[in-house]
Amino acid sequence: METLQWFFIDFLQALAAGLLVGGTYGLMCVGLGIIFGVMRVVNFAHGDFMMLGMYLAFYMVTGFGMLTFLGPYVGPIVGAVLAGPIVFVFGWLLHRYLIARVTGARVVSAEAEGHYTQIILTLGISLILQNGGLILFGSLPISIQTPLSRESWELGPIFLNQARSVGFVIAVIFALVLYFFLGRSRLGKALRAAADNPVAAAYVGVDVDRSHRLAFGLGVGITAVAGGLIASTQTFQPYIGFDFVIVMFAGVVLGGLGSILGAFWGGLTIGLVQQMSTLVLPYQLQNTAIFVVFLLIIFFWPRGMFGRSWERT
Amino acid sequence: MLKIRSLNVAYGGLQALSEVSLEVEQGQFVAVVGPNGAGKSTLFKTISGTVAPLSGEILYKGRDLLAVAPGERAQLGIAHVPEGRQVFASMTVMENLEMGAYTRNGRARWGELLPMILALFPVLAERREQLAGTLSGGEQQMLAIGRGLASAPELLMLDEPSMGLAPALVDAIFERIHQIHRQHGLTILLVEQRVAEALESCDSGYVLETGRVVMRGRHDELVADPRVKRAYLGM
Ligand SMILES: Nc1ncnc2c1ncn2[C@@H]1O[C@H](COP(=O)(O)OP(=O)(O)OP(=O)(O)O)[C@@H](O)[C@H]1O
Ligand SMILES: [Mg+2]
Repeated sequence: METLQWFFIDFLQALAAGLLVGGTYGLMCVGLGIIFGVMRVVNFAHGDFMMLGMYLAFYMVTGFGMLTFLGPYVGPIVGAVLAGPIVFVFGWLLHRYLIARVTGARVVSAEAEGHYTQIILTLGISLILQNGGLILFGSLPISIQTPLSRESWELGPIFLNQARSVGFVIAVIFALVLYFFLGRSRLGKALRAAADNPVAAAYVGVDVDRSHRLAFGLGVGITAVAGGLIASTQTFQPYIGFDFVIVMFAGVVLGGLGSILGAFWGGLTIGLVQQMSTLVLPYQLQNTAIFVVFLLIIFFWPRGMFGRSWERT
Repeated sequence: MLKIRSLNVAYGGLQALSEVSLEVEQGQFVAVVGPNGAGKSTLFKTISGTVAPLSGEILYKGRDLLAVAPGERAQLGIAHVPEGRQVFASMTVMENLEMGAYTRNGRARWGELLPMILALFPVLAERREQLAGTLSGGEQQMLAIGRGLASAPELLMLDEPSMGLAPALVDAIFERIHQIHRQHGLTILLVEQRVAEALESCDSGYVLETGRVVMRGRHDELVADPRVKRAYLGM
């Protein structure tokens, strides 16, 4: 009886941790998903933009201390959120001057060749960001250490880490705002139209290249926010992106490639699986658990759990 | 309104259009007919900018269209309804129409055009919230035309609106196109395989074969021409 009760509490604890972690994973996946959905480009550098978000948040909060006046609770949150627009602008410029050369309407006709150059380019960006990060930030693992990151709220027998809880809330807010932006606003609809059918989008007057730029900026910016939030919950170094790339790709594929909202659920699922697996598996095997569940889901739902339902067979 | 001079277009090394010249006057209904692979769709794509020509000139209301970015051309009042039901499959019928009204003119006249489009194609009104990808082929075609109209165009380019539709539906679509032309004085450039129907309604027409204009003329000249009769009208 006693052990059963302890297991039950452990279970709830893992469930809660999975949800909280999954929220930020979901946001990252949405970032990767919007880039794939609109541009049909697999961004291999995506994890490294998340790393940029982590360092930006770190320097704003702890390093240069620009946000210390906001206090140890609000500061890290504002730092994470601010990483978004900064990385957005960076992504926008990167697309404008580099990525646009190998993507977009002009290379659609050369589909197959286009994909190779895109893969090589995003891998190259990934290497530059990682090694640039190493030069600029050093290899020492760091994290944003504040009371927020150390303390927990208690919900009965369950402990909710404050930084993770706040991160979850912010991630959900960002995902919802993006959802309504894509669903309701004129610009959001244009983005979806460009994703759905770029040629027809051009015929109705959508600037497809600009839509791609917006999608890329939004995608990396959102992921940087997720990174900034995670920076308060764990240590990181310039190669951290690689650990998360697996999570992000699995989440996006789970959610159904091209489904932007699905990517959030995919990320959430990954977070849950990762945390729940610690109940039965050693901690080191949590990524293995992700892959097993990933393969199972792909086996049973090849289009992802939230795949496209509008495609007629 | 639209003047095309010695247009040459090639895909890789393959010449798709050679020295094509064409003219559309304001308020006219001009048909372009020709066999498969003649280059009709290529002509339209060059006008709306998704294919770049090797040489030649396209003037739209006196303006050099080739200097205008593809996405901007719709803003000038050119609506291209592409061949083969190119709707936004993952968006609803209403969202598709809203995307049609993405242009400045379309947005300004949305309130008056939407009822007109829904009256023209009542089936779209019934299916407002349905995802366009789940519509039947004929419904998708109507939606594509409706989307073109929603941009409040001055020049409506229709690429094979009858493709894959049942004969009764083809008649209905042609009837609608006629109606739009008459009631709204819209300039129409139409590409059709159904030569009889297309020439029936047009003011003037062009016959395109393997990338060249082999014949041009007014409606009565074309339908009376023995070559057209033999090759396209089955007489
Ligand atoms: N993207 C492309 N790449 C290579 N060749 C192309 C491309 N698009 C069209 N072509 C070729 O150009 C020629 C003209 O094609 P186009 O689509 O303009 O014909 P069409 O007159 O519209 O024919 P249809 O009546 O069958 O629609 C064809 O020989 C076609 O194979
Ligand atoms: Mg064609």
